Amino acid sequence: MQIEAQERDDVLLKRSAKGDEEAFTILYRRHQAQIYRFALRMTGHPWAAEEIVQDVFMTLVREPKKFDPERGTLRAFLYGIARNRIMKHLERLPREFSLEIPGDEGEPRSLEVADQRTPAHWAELRERREQVRAAVLSLPPEFRETVVLCELEEMSYEEAAKALECPVGTVRSRLHRGRALLLAKLEMLREMPKRANAAL
Amino acid sequence: MNCEEFANLVPDLDALAKSPETMAAREHLRSCPACAAFYESSQRLRTELHDLGLATSEASAPSRVEMRLRQEFRTRHKTEKNHGRAVVAGWLLAAATLVLVAGSLFFWHSPRVNVASQQPTAKAPVASTVASEPELGGTLIAANDGDDEFALIPGALPGLQDETSVVRVQMQRGSLSALGLTVNEEHASDVVEVDLLLGADGQPQAYRLPQQTAN
Repeated sequence: MQIEAQERDDVLLKRSAKGDEEAFTILYRRHQAQIYRFALRMTGHPWAAEEIVQDVFMTLVREPKKFDPERGTLRAFLYGIARNRIMKHLERLPREFSLEIPGDEGEPRSLEVADQRTPAHWAELRERREQVRAAVLSLPPEFRETVVLCELEEMSYEEAAKALECPVGTVRSRLHRGRALLLAKLEMLREMPKRANAAL
Repeated sequence: MNCEEFANLVPDLDALAKSPETMAAREHLRSCPACAAFYESSQRLRTELHDLGLATSEASAPSRVEMRLRQEFRTRHKTEKNHGRAVVAGWLLAAATLVLVAGSLFFWHSPRVNVASQQPTAKAPVASTVASEPELGGTLIAANDGDDEFALIPGALPGLQDETSVVRVQMQRGSLSALGLTVNEEHASDVVEVDLLLGADGQPQAYRLPQQTAN
């Protein structure tokens, strides 16, 4: 059956539940990247993000009727499952953060020198980026997810509130708190080299 | 505007553009070095977070995840289709069995044909000759003296009207069984009058039980 690319999520899901593989594939390709990025930024591990994405969409394959369009969008439903899986993952593992930035296929990639800045400059940028990444991953989960969605995924407060199934005011206050914690941590890290130099 | 109000407004400062709150915040920035430093740090953090987001903005799940999911999808729906077919076949078999059993019960319990009530009736012919039947010990009735119709005796074939005669006999009810009729055993010894329609060969072809005794 011909499916239009812009077919609604709930219509595609109904077709998928009846065995239409094309409908399921469209749904998967439409939403997988966002769920993967969310899982990756929350866990810091590409392999964990891969597992979580697989779990999330396996729920769609096995229990499509779990989604109730009256309660919200499919994207919010998928984020909800992803959050549950992420929390379980974080509870199981110690806080070890990968220092590699994954590429398009989830594999680490190296930064390319795009202009005439020195390698030292790029090394410093890379190091700074890893510090920011580690700082985000060190946040408590409820603050981390708002920072990930609003700052990294650049969702609006309303979009983030739908994905997290909480009021907009809660998103704003958690984001505010998350930023404050990040600032404190990063400022501390920024001060460390200065103090080290001063001690010499 | 105080420092706490300014700190709360910082995240949305850019979005507020030229609103009164933004004007007040920028005024506060000029007069408060601490808030100015905080604002600078916030802007730097925002830039760094944006860069971090860009670093993973193209990230997506490996293609092997899609392959696994589609394989599971196919397996699950093939299993469901086979299961569905088995369920339909099961129901059809049950329905067929039910029809068979119902049909058997219907034919098994259908009422037995009562020989006495299903005998084809024949109108009593007009007796044309007078004859005696010493074997039966009965009285020949010259003519059909009643409205009651004769019932054919099992196995007998009705003969031509001008060759038959009617004889009234008295006999034990149980003797009627000799003619192939069903008799209530409780009244087998009762003596009854029976009109017999005799054929040309003198054999009884039909009978009737008159309501009144003829003289």
